[in-house]
Amino acid sequence: MKNIFTIILVAVVFLSCEKSVLLDLNQTQPRVIIEGLVTNQPGYQYVKVSRSSAFYHTGDAPVVEDATVIVTDDDGNEFLFIHSPGNDSDSSGYYLPAVPFTGVIGKTYSLSVVVDGENFEATDVLNPVTKIDSLSYRVDEEERKDPVDEGKFYEVLLYANEPQQTTDFYLFKFYRNDSLMVDGDTDIYYADDEALGEDIDAVPSPLYYAPGDVADVEMYSISRAGFVFYNDLQTLLTSDGGLFSQPPSNSRTNLSNGALGYFQTSALEKRRITIKE
Amino acid sequence: MLYKSLFAFLMLLSFAASAQDKVTLNGYVKDSANGEELIGVSVYLPLLKAGTISNAYGFYSLTLPPGTYEIQYTYVGYAVQTVTVTLDKDVANNIELVDKAEMIDEVVISEKRVDENVVSLQMSKNTLDLDRVRKLPALFGEVDIIKNIQMLPGVITAGEGTSSFYVRGGSADQNLILIDEAPIYDPSHLFGLFSVFNADVIKDAELYKGGIPAKYGGRLSSILEVRTKDGNNKEFKVNGGIGSMASRIMIEGPLKKDKSSFIISARRSYVDLFLKAANQDNLVSFYDINAKVNLKGNNNNRFFAAFYAGRDDFKFADEFGFAWGNKTATFRWNHLFSERLFSNATIIASNFDYKLELNDPAQGFNWTSNLQELSVKYDLAYFINTNNELTFGYHLTGRRFSPGRIAPNTDGSIFEEVELQHMYALDHALYVSNQQRLSDKFTLDYGVRLSIFQNIGSSDVYTYDDPTDNLEIVRTDTIHYKRWENIKTYINVEPRIALRYMIGEGQSVKLSYNRMVQNTHLIAAGTVPVPFNTWNPSGYYLKPQLADQVAAGYFRNFRDNVYEFSAEAYYKDIKNVTDFADNADIFFNEDLSTEFRQGKAWAYGLELMLTKKEGKLTGSVGYTLSKAMRKVDGVNLDREFAANYDRRHVANIQAAYDLNARWTFGANFTFSTGRPTTLPTGKFEFQDYNPDVISERNGYRLPAFHRLDLSATLTPRKNAGRKWHGQWVFAVYNAYNRANPFTIYTRTAQNGDGDVIGDGRTKEARMIYLFPILPSVTYNFKF
Repeated sequence: MKNIFTIILVAVVFLSCEKSVLLDLNQTQPRVIIEGLVTNQPGYQYVKVSRSSAFYHTGDAPVVEDATVIVTDDDGNEFLFIHSPGNDSDSSGYYLPAVPFTGVIGKTYSLSVVVDGENFEATDVLNPVTKIDSLSYRVDEEERKDPVDEGKFYEVLLYANEPQQTTDFYLFKFYRNDSLMVDGDTDIYYADDEALGEDIDAVPSPLYYAPGDVADVEMYSISRAGFVFYNDLQTLLTSDGGLFSQPPSNSRTNLSNGALGYFQTSALEKRRITIKE
Repeated sequence: MLYKSLFAFLMLLSFAASAQDKVTLNGYVKDSANGEELIGVSVYLPLLKAGTISNAYGFYSLTLPPGTYEIQYTYVGYAVQTVTVTLDKDVANNIELVDKAEMIDEVVISEKRVDENVVSLQMSKNTLDLDRVRKLPALFGEVDIIKNIQMLPGVITAGEGTSSFYVRGGSADQNLILIDEAPIYDPSHLFGLFSVFNADVIKDAELYKGGIPAKYGGRLSSILEVRTKDGNNKEFKVNGGIGSMASRIMIEGPLKKDKSSFIISARRSYVDLFLKAANQDNLVSFYDINAKVNLKGNNNNRFFAAFYAGRDDFKFADEFGFAWGNKTATFRWNHLFSERLFSNATIIASNFDYKLELNDPAQGFNWTSNLQELSVKYDLAYFINTNNELTFGYHLTGRRFSPGRIAPNTDGSIFEEVELQHMYALDHALYVSNQQRLSDKFTLDYGVRLSIFQNIGSSDVYTYDDPTDNLEIVRTDTIHYKRWENIKTYINVEPRIALRYMIGEGQSVKLSYNRMVQNTHLIAAGTVPVPFNTWNPSGYYLKPQLADQVAAGYFRNFRDNVYEFSAEAYYKDIKNVTDFADNADIFFNEDLSTEFRQGKAWAYGLELMLTKKEGKLTGSVGYTLSKAMRKVDGVNLDREFAANYDRRHVANIQAAYDLNARWTFGANFTFSTGRPTTLPTGKFEFQDYNPDVISERNGYRLPAFHRLDLSATLTPRKNAGRKWHGQWVFAVYNAYNRANPFTIYTRTAQNGDGDVIGDGRTKEARMIYLFPILPSVTYNFKF
């Protein structure tokens, strides 16, 4: 439904034009931004700490390299995260566990980030995720006629069972040859199960593949707070400026103390398929 | 309060009953050419310096001491008719006025027009001059009532290409839009490019912005009453038009001459035909059908049945589609109980629905929603004497809200059927109002409307741990209400007072106070409502919205009433204005009640208007200075903020010039301060996304809006003996090609092909503007 506004705008503005404008914007104090992930798979745990920048700032966001980052579970286990253990410039602002660990389904995790003496906290529950039964693929005939990317017209299909007795929320990520792919820079693939039946059969991927491509699909469980966060983020990223849609506003988050971003704990289900002609 | 007022009215009635030694003159006022009843015709007795105006059904009644009177019937655009009547008993006098346009040039009738604008008690009301509206430029040549309403002082628009309007600081859902007394829940075609009103069939359109009479209620800020033609009861006529966007045809004629007539009119867009011709699978279309039949057997009983149906249909390559539409039906019976007691019984049905459809083997679904309404109204007017006119009535409305149902439309769809529960409401209103002439100078109208609103079952109401927490929703209980069981009742008393004082020849001051109550709320969080916004009744959580408005005005006519001037100031205070939490999820949400935030709103302003009604050059100049603010707990960190439609300065000029019998020229100019909008104060990185940081609601203003439109109408010389009359309308919209802001949004910087450029972290703001310079040609005909 969120995208209906985009569609309306397209429909209304079939006669419209648009242009870039330079805005004289108010500036406010930079906000602390936290992006955290704990999953039940090894190697996925990280926390990124940065700051917001001016709207017209170019280049990467200013990162925070001297934060204290600790994750605890509800048994009292503490996991210290240290800044960029490999010390390479790509991982500036990223904090990784000092001792590798994996999350456990059903546990609640708490994050504490201290930046310049200010403490930002969040908790999230690591919910179970349903199994991806299988992946398959097929040619999208429409796409084959007029492919956006030359040669890429196979869509990957996903099969799963949606447990009907529980309330679940999902986040999906699609990879093409190990690169995370997003169709456009604003699409987030997330779902609740309110209107979903039990059989999830042949749901197509949002992107297309060429023969020989390796497709990976990741399905993350998220909590209701996570669903709300991604839903708000999607709304914000696709806002029409508040004309038909609601006025843009910051995503609701589980982080305290005015930090933006989200601390996510997820069970992760992965599947891979290689496209053959 | 209420009982006291009722007592006062009963006293008045007993006065009236004692005035039996008087006689009554009454009747209907019609157009001589087509038999259409004329609304608002002044019926004036120079001897007594008293009079009345014909009501919405063309009826008037005057109760006078027996005697011989000269009576003047005057109406803008029509020749004055003066009749001498000897009243020794009750007399029925139906009058036919002659349209000046139909008159032979040689006949010159000397006249002195009445200064209706000054003398009338009603303030804050604008009546569209449809003859002039037809001479003015229109977008794609489609004459549009609502686009002209948007040009009136005190009315603000969110931008061009929208059919919503904002009256004196009220939101778009605070306008009651009526066609033949039936409510239209969404007046837009093509998301607002056009409105649902086909101008061919419109007889009269009035907008009440303040001093709203007690017979109207249900919305806070305005009443837009649109009445359609009854149909020519003298001869068959066909009217039509071929435009660049849509074509129209209207057929009218007598069923039985002078007694009964019909009218049917249809309009259809043909963008879809062009698209089909261009081998496009996309389909965009709309249509309107209006139909009416009437039976005017005699003065005592008249029957009318009116229908309207309109729909928009969008389809994108058989994959995705949506549609919406209004259907209304009105059945009306005007009955005269006596020479002085006029009644109008009406049954009204209205339906609004929308549909969204996705066609896909795995993810296909149909999404439907509708709102149905059935009303019974009984309105009476008792013409007590020349000094008192009592109106009273009872309205009962039942509404059924079906906010949404999602159903799979293929066997393999991953969706299952889900439906949000229906909501039901009963709305009773009782009103009584008396217009009293206290002296030659003083006229007073005092009335009250009693609104009794019930939200009823069957329904489940959820209670929450914290009913305003929309993040972690914790339901504590479900209360089940059986069918017809009362969930919540809201009783409100709405006083309405207006007075007019003549301060000299052609000058008056007017004051009014009205309270309005609104129990039907539009669930729209954006600035411009879309057809997919649903309506909700007041209920367990949602409280009625209340508005109090005071207005004062000075009215003056110049140069034999050729010029009308008015200055009005108002202050409006709104309680329980409905707003929504930041990030509110207003679509298909079972816990929608957690998203509502009700607060207060206030607005004030000054409106100036100068109108020239007669002569070769006619038109108006309007200026509005206004401010509209809101403060809602849970929105904008509880701080006050400018309403989405707050514009400080608005100026509009509309002019039509009749050069000669062949050529008429028209122009519109509009200027307004930019609309407030919410823009970022920064940005950040999250995964691969670059969201904005938002810190203040409506803290930025879009650039000012201004535009000039021009038109020229060519009426080729009439060919004597030929019935066919044609007319060409040439128009240029946005003559100096101004890029007017529609909205501003932000995105990651992209090149012309939509590919992200630079480091993928740089953002840019984009302004959307709708119409460049747009010429259009329309051909109208009648025979």
